[in-house]
Amino acid sequence: MSADLNTLNMDGHAFRLADALLRSQGGTTAFLQMPPATGDTSDAGQLGIDAPNFQSLPLSPVVFRRVRATMTEGKPAKYELIVSGAAVQAAVGALQIAPADLLFQMAAGVTVAGELFLIEAVSLSECLGAVYVYRLLLRESASGWQMQTTQG
Amino acid sequence: MQNAKDTFYITLRNRLATVNPARTMTLRGVLRPGILVEEAEPAAAQLPTDVFVLRWTKFAVDGQLPSILTNLTCEIHYATAGTQENAGLDRGRSLEEMDNELLQMLWPAYTPKMNYTQTPAVEMGTNIFWSQATFAPETTTRERVGRIATVKVFAFQEQGEQ
Repeated sequence: MSADLNTLNMDGHAFRLADALLRSQGGTTAFLQMPPATGDTSDAGQLGIDAPNFQSLPLSPVVFRRVRATMTEGKPAKYELIVSGAAVQAAVGALQIAPADLLFQMAAGVTVAGELFLIEAVSLSECLGAVYVYRLLLRESASGWQMQTTQG
Repeated sequence: MQNAKDTFYITLRNRLATVNPARTMTLRGVLRPGILVEEAEPAAAQLPTDVFVLRWTKFAVDGQLPSILTNLTCEIHYATAGTQENAGLDRGRSLEEMDNELLQMLWPAYTPKMNYTQTPAVEMGTNIFWSQATFAPETTTRERVGRIATVKVFAFQEQGEQ
């Protein structure tokens, strides 16, 4: 058995470093499409009759990039979204959600520059037990909707 | 046709709440019985486990009768990875539990057709009814075991119904 006996305390340096790197790489804002705090409990809400009223939750800074340059016919392009751990921590605190992964599980998608993407997978990097960056694998939505990115 | 689809889902959902009240999920901020209509929920990379997912596939019409009889095929997808307490070693038992729940939910194989676009929902003039479920072989994907049950749902097209 081995244990992490590191005596260093998390002082937020990894968060600041990640944020600085993301901003220097053209950091932008992404909007998670979150369900409203008070969900629709009616039958119509479960049958696609009522509008879901998703709300845009801003996350910044983030870096958005295409995973592969070559496209396969008939398959949607895949993208990667690198999200600041501090931004996720702030969002999680505001929504009182724990753990942070649940934030991405609850999201119906993510909007970047008015385009909707679906979250396929989430991974993370941590330092001294604190997650300083999240990496989201995104798939291009087939809907082709131009999304509103104003906060609901 | 849409009324028949809506009625089938709501019927199964209400029956599941009786058959196994513990099978619940939180979706879009609402705690509800563990069953959903795939086409009425946000697209997901992977179907959820321990939940019944209704996927509508084929559609056929029989116009030889006095009223048009529609025939809709519903695939009911479900999968499980077992429970955390048993480290997933009970996934076979969990799947069998879901098989059994589904059999109970599907019986009796008829219910009055409802119109859920109005509030409160309005009972229509005919029933919807469905065939016995056809259970596909169990499939294993890594630690998940799952199955697809197929049911044919029949409904008469009523006057003025779309």
